[in-house]
Amino acid sequence: MSRSREPSNRLWTALAAPGIGWLLLFFLAPLYVVLAIVFGQRDPLFRTAVPVWNPLQWDPTQFNYVLRRIGPGGVYFPALARTVVYVGLASILCLCIAFPVAYYVSRLAGRWQGLLIALLIAPFWISYMMRMLAWVNLLQNDGLVNKILSFGGLFDVNVDWLTGQPVVVVLGLAYGYVPYMVLPLYAGLDRLSQSMLEASRDLGASRVSSFVRVTLPMCRPTMLAAVLLTCLPMLGDYFTNDLLSASPKTAMVGNLINDSVQAPGQTGQAGAFVMLVLVATVLPMIYYVRVTLRGDEVRT
Amino acid sequence: MPVPNGYDRGRPSRRQFLQRAAILAAGAPALGAFLAACSKPGPASSGPSLTIAKPDSPVKWPIADDNKPIGDNLPPERGATLKIYNYADYLSPQAIKQFEDRYGVKIEVSTFNDGDEAITKLRSGVDFDIYNANYTEISRLVTGGLVRPLNHSYLPNITNVWPSFTNPWYDQGWQYTVPYTIYTTGIGWRTDQVPADIGKLSNPYASLWDPAYKDKTAIIDDFHTAMAMVLLKEGITDVNTSSADDLKMVGEQLTALGKATSPKVTITMYSDMPAGQIGLCQMWSGDIINAQSYLPEGVGTEILQYWFPQDGKGLVDNDMLVTLKGGKNPVLAHLFLNHMLDPAVAKENFSAIGYQPPQNSITADTLVAEEFIPENLRSAIVKPEYFDTGYRLLELDTTNEDAWRNVWNAFNSGGS
Repeated sequence: MSRSREPSNRLWTALAAPGIGWLLLFFLAPLYVVLAIVFGQRDPLFRTAVPVWNPLQWDPTQFNYVLRRIGPGGVYFPALARTVVYVGLASILCLCIAFPVAYYVSRLAGRWQGLLIALLIAPFWISYMMRMLAWVNLLQNDGLVNKILSFGGLFDVNVDWLTGQPVVVVLGLAYGYVPYMVLPLYAGLDRLSQSMLEASRDLGASRVSSFVRVTLPMCRPTMLAAVLLTCLPMLGDYFTNDLLSASPKTAMVGNLINDSVQAPGQTGQAGAFVMLVLVATVLPMIYYVRVTLRGDEVRT
Repeated sequence: MPVPNGYDRGRPSRRQFLQRAAILAAGAPALGAFLAACSKPGPASSGPSLTIAKPDSPVKWPIADDNKPIGDNLPPERGATLKIYNYADYLSPQAIKQFEDRYGVKIEVSTFNDGDEAITKLRSGVDFDIYNANYTEISRLVTGGLVRPLNHSYLPNITNVWPSFTNPWYDQGWQYTVPYTIYTTGIGWRTDQVPADIGKLSNPYASLWDPAYKDKTAIIDDFHTAMAMVLLKEGITDVNTSSADDLKMVGEQLTALGKATSPKVTITMYSDMPAGQIGLCQMWSGDIINAQSYLPEGVGTEILQYWFPQDGKGLVDNDMLVTLKGGKNPVLAHLFLNHMLDPAVAKENFSAIGYQPPQNSITADTLVAEEFIPENLRSAIVKPEYFDTGYRLLELDTTNEDAWRNVWNAFNSGGS
């Protein structure tokens, strides 16, 4: 028995090798480059970043500069706090919108399911940038939104949507990332064990309590995965904010990275922010891995 | 127009990261050695220092032995593609077409969003022939060996430009540069959104701090231009100051600005103001002229106003064209520079991009008389005397630039 298993193990290792190679080449190596830049030097003439590869020669000046200013009262604190709030709100909003949609498509759509899935994928056909630029048009002072709100000139509505309104940025994020939330939720809900649900009804649970006590707990890893999938790119987003606000009042950590990466001599600071985001995202990841592992244990 | 450079959505999974983090920890030193072996010799901690040109200390740049001007009377390269590296919307398509037809060549324009981005790319060894430079970069361009010196025999049209630009302080003897555009930095506003005559106020800059215009204002997304405006508002005319007190004051003023009017930080005033999003902003003179063509139908250009101190004591600036050492078509590059100095081409280019060339044939009176520029925007026309009295944003030394940028970054993060 054990002899027959060994070659197959080796086969799987071989099959995994390209993936691991890919990871080393395109994730770990670039990550090391970021570190080498954060703790690196600057070209004296052009002020571009000069990476220092030897960790023993690393210079933490730029990293410390950022680190000393991210706590409460520091100049970068508002942007970081804002990022957490915006991303949190947008994720909750995404979940509230995406869950019912995914639930309906996966369990109740019947023969329309194929069409609905196609429609859910449709937003991916249009680039994120185009979808945001469309909102810029709609939200302009003489745009459709203000026109509709004024009921054809009945009221004098002149809302400045695009000049630093936090609510516009949060809604923009939610709008932009909802498709990324729907698909994983759909995939998870689609695989929900039908027999479990039937069992709960057979044992006398009402529709509501069956949903709350069986469906939701079973969905938790899926929901977590979906939230993480949207949260992570949102944390690095600078673009939604640039297009829909462009005001420092709504700056997020992505904007800090973008600003400093484009400023000569400050690439190290940009790298420091990148490391911060990385650390902040690794923590929920650990939680996710633990939850899914526990899920596996329960199932087996 | 600046468009954010792409959008990065793909990220490697963090789950794998966790599982492989140990490998990284164990392998990091080896990886470091490997990468060090691949890289160029050690980080440059010291190197050539920068000579900074100033109006009161003009600089004649050296010409390196391995970077001499091209010879006289060379034929233009045939069937070539002339590569130009420029800001977006900053070169008239018609001027390009004319040149292409005349010499039977193709022109390829690549664009950048700001000078910092451009220099990074130029250093990577691209083969652009012509670059639109600013004098704040000239020392780096020359010292870094990126630009090619000019052969004046290909550039007879230089006689068409203002005499002060034929021997500018940033490039004595115009060995590397020809002037391209000139502009002032002032305040622009829409009369339908801002009832006050900003230009008549005792301190027009201070209007940007007026809470009455909250959510209606913008400042220019460039640390030096924006912070210099704060200095001028406070009556400090050294717009390249290295005083820590001044910079601290600028930081506080910027925080106050954010609280009072929450301005957008952008360089798209030329389209945002006509669209109605911005009613009052710090603005380049070329952008208010350009803004006329972005106004929606039925809105007259008379609503646009621009203020720049009429004694010329404000920010004045000019851009220039240079030929690059890495370019493959040096003769065509010279001919193109000469083409852009032609009065007719320069004027057509002006109408397309809104930025004035320093041509002798173009004066404030002729521009208004020919209805090239409406009377209400006469203040956006740049006069030669501004360059005697105006203030110049100069290249800052490394330490000082860091100090400036740190103040700016703090403002951009939303303030404390």
